[in-house]
Amino acid sequence: MFLQQLVNGLTIGVIYALIALGYTMVYGILKMVNFAHGDIFMFGSFLGLFFMKHLHMPLYLAFLLSAAATSAIGVVIERVAYRPLRTADRIVPLISALGVSTFLVSLAQKLWGTEMHPFPTAFGLGTVTVGSITFSEIQILILVLSFILMLGLHLFVTRTKTGTAMRATSMSLTNAALMGINTNHMISLAFAIGSALAACAGIMVGIYYNAVYPTMGYMAGINAFTAAVLGGIGSIPGAMLGGILLGVVENLGGAYISTQYQSVISFTILIIVLMIRPTGILGKKDINKV
Amino acid sequence: MKKTGSILASIALAASLLAGCSANGGKQDADGAIQIGLAAPISGTQAQYGEAFKNGAELAAKQVNDAGGIDGKKVKIVIQDDKGDPHEAVNVANKFVTDKDILAVVGHFNSSATLATAPIYNKNKIVEISPSSSAPAVTNAGEYTFRVITTDAFQAAYLADWSKELGYRKVALIYEQSDFGLGLLDVYKNAAPKNNIEIVAAESYNPGDKDFSTVLTKIKEKQPDAIFIGGFYNEAALIAQQAQKLGLKTDYIGVDSLYSEALLELGGDAVENMKLIGFFYPGGDNEEATKFAEAYQTAYNSKPDTYAAYAYVATSVVIEAIKHNGADREKIKEYLKTLHDYKGPTGVLSFDENGDVVTTPERLTIRNGAFELYQ
Repeated sequence: MFLQQLVNGLTIGVIYALIALGYTMVYGILKMVNFAHGDIFMFGSFLGLFFMKHLHMPLYLAFLLSAAATSAIGVVIERVAYRPLRTADRIVPLISALGVSTFLVSLAQKLWGTEMHPFPTAFGLGTVTVGSITFSEIQILILVLSFILMLGLHLFVTRTKTGTAMRATSMSLTNAALMGINTNHMISLAFAIGSALAACAGIMVGIYYNAVYPTMGYMAGINAFTAAVLGGIGSIPGAMLGGILLGVVENLGGAYISTQYQSVISFTILIIVLMIRPTGILGKKDINKV
Repeated sequence: MKKTGSILASIALAASLLAGCSANGGKQDADGAIQIGLAAPISGTQAQYGEAFKNGAELAAKQVNDAGGIDGKKVKIVIQDDKGDPHEAVNVANKFVTDKDILAVVGHFNSSATLATAPIYNKNKIVEISPSSSAPAVTNAGEYTFRVITTDAFQAAYLADWSKELGYRKVALIYEQSDFGLGLLDVYKNAAPKNNIEIVAAESYNPGDKDFSTVLTKIKEKQPDAIFIGGFYNEAALIAQQAQKLGLKTDYIGVDSLYSEALLELGGDAVENMKLIGFFYPGGDNEEATKFAEAYQTAYNSKPDTYAAYAYVATSVVIEAIKHNGADREKIKEYLKTLHDYKGPTGVLSFDENGDVVTTPERLTIRNGAFELYQ
């Protein structure tokens, strides 16, 4: 049972990680928590559903188009709701993000109704048994695709010029601008990548639970944000580690202690980690020089 | 111009308020109609059920009126919105009891509202008949409080018996962490030993949970013959789907709150063969159910759900009481006490001494993506 629970935990953990990356990338640059990110994840899920159910597209195309459309939504949100407030007090864009979150949920309820929708795919129902562990096809898809996406992101930020520019922007917005980096582009890019990853996570969650509904972003968002903080907000490897850790701890806690205390266990761990390392596991100390 | 408009508006408002007062003051309705109150959540989070209540009750009245009414008098449903909120429900109850023309009240929707208002109805000696409040506490709410839905306890005990007939020896329970779920758990668990059933696991979830993989992996270890689901259709569909993905093969048995078209839509082939009970099943042996479903379809151009059927039944038995015993609050109660084997769309029903319904549910299962009678 231990290995099976570990696989279950990993599956949900990599999903948390994918969503957490969006929080952490935006925070890394703007020092702002994008509270609408969970709802962007929800929108990605609905768009994937829309492409498959109404336009009868194959799964891979739904992934690509939903990721593209959702990243466009992310960029537009930043342009309309956050950029005009960039010089305002830090609390102001935060409130704006809450507004965007409410707007997205209401919009989804208007467009698709308040009820739960099933995901119309026969994919993911088959199972593969290795020893005592049963993998469903969808679990395999989630694990493989998430690792590919995370590896891709890692290579992008460490090995390409644009990636380096993005890291520079996250180190210091002003200095990066002085070095000739178009920081506005970098910020848009962070929103685009974060939203695209969230969209992929959204579709996978939709298939995994066979349920898509307008308020699905709320708990997913909270958990992913927790994962980002646990790993060290602002740190890309931190978000990956935090997500996986949170998923696994939650599942093992549920399995060996009680499912009633799943959230209690994960949040207790979060508090302990933050008491010992306030910056999170892989977070760097942020020194504010005056 | 603008000012005149607002003055006119306030006069109109005042006039309508006065009109409202006189109606509540106890004057006879202009055409001497027989008035039955309906307390339902017309607005608020439970508004979809309020809509079903309104449609069901009004259909019952319409059918009587189309057939000439009661002694030539029309039946009128007077609707008050309790918003599904116990506080608001108390206001609604006070309005109803002070209006002498209201002969009985159909309502309320949720058990909290029914329990909050029961003392008011009982003190004023007027029947309150709930279509949908299934909490065990409603049993002792008073002699004027009736209901046409069975208690949660009854359902769990019935399912324990059926589990035995199906030959289940090892059963795992998954229940909602709420009064509703805990009530089901208690009764089923207590009934298990005498039915030779071993409870191999009892796991709860919070309403709205989506991930059941942890719970199901634990249960898979125990290899149960069946999983008893004490919750609602959304979660039941997810449980069956996720169990399938984990390679857990077992039977499912559950209460009537699983009985919804949404279970089929969300569950797909994972819910195939699931066993559940239901009270309103059109297209089966119960002709009343089929007739009601057809009449409802004609009147509203949509399929009735269980709650519309219950509201229809509750209104119908009150109308039946007025037909037999006359338009008198006390006599309606007397009639309901003696009502025996009334045939309606939710089955054949009688009331026991506590005003609880006595009836037998339909045993249902899912075949080829549709509900059918279990045989």
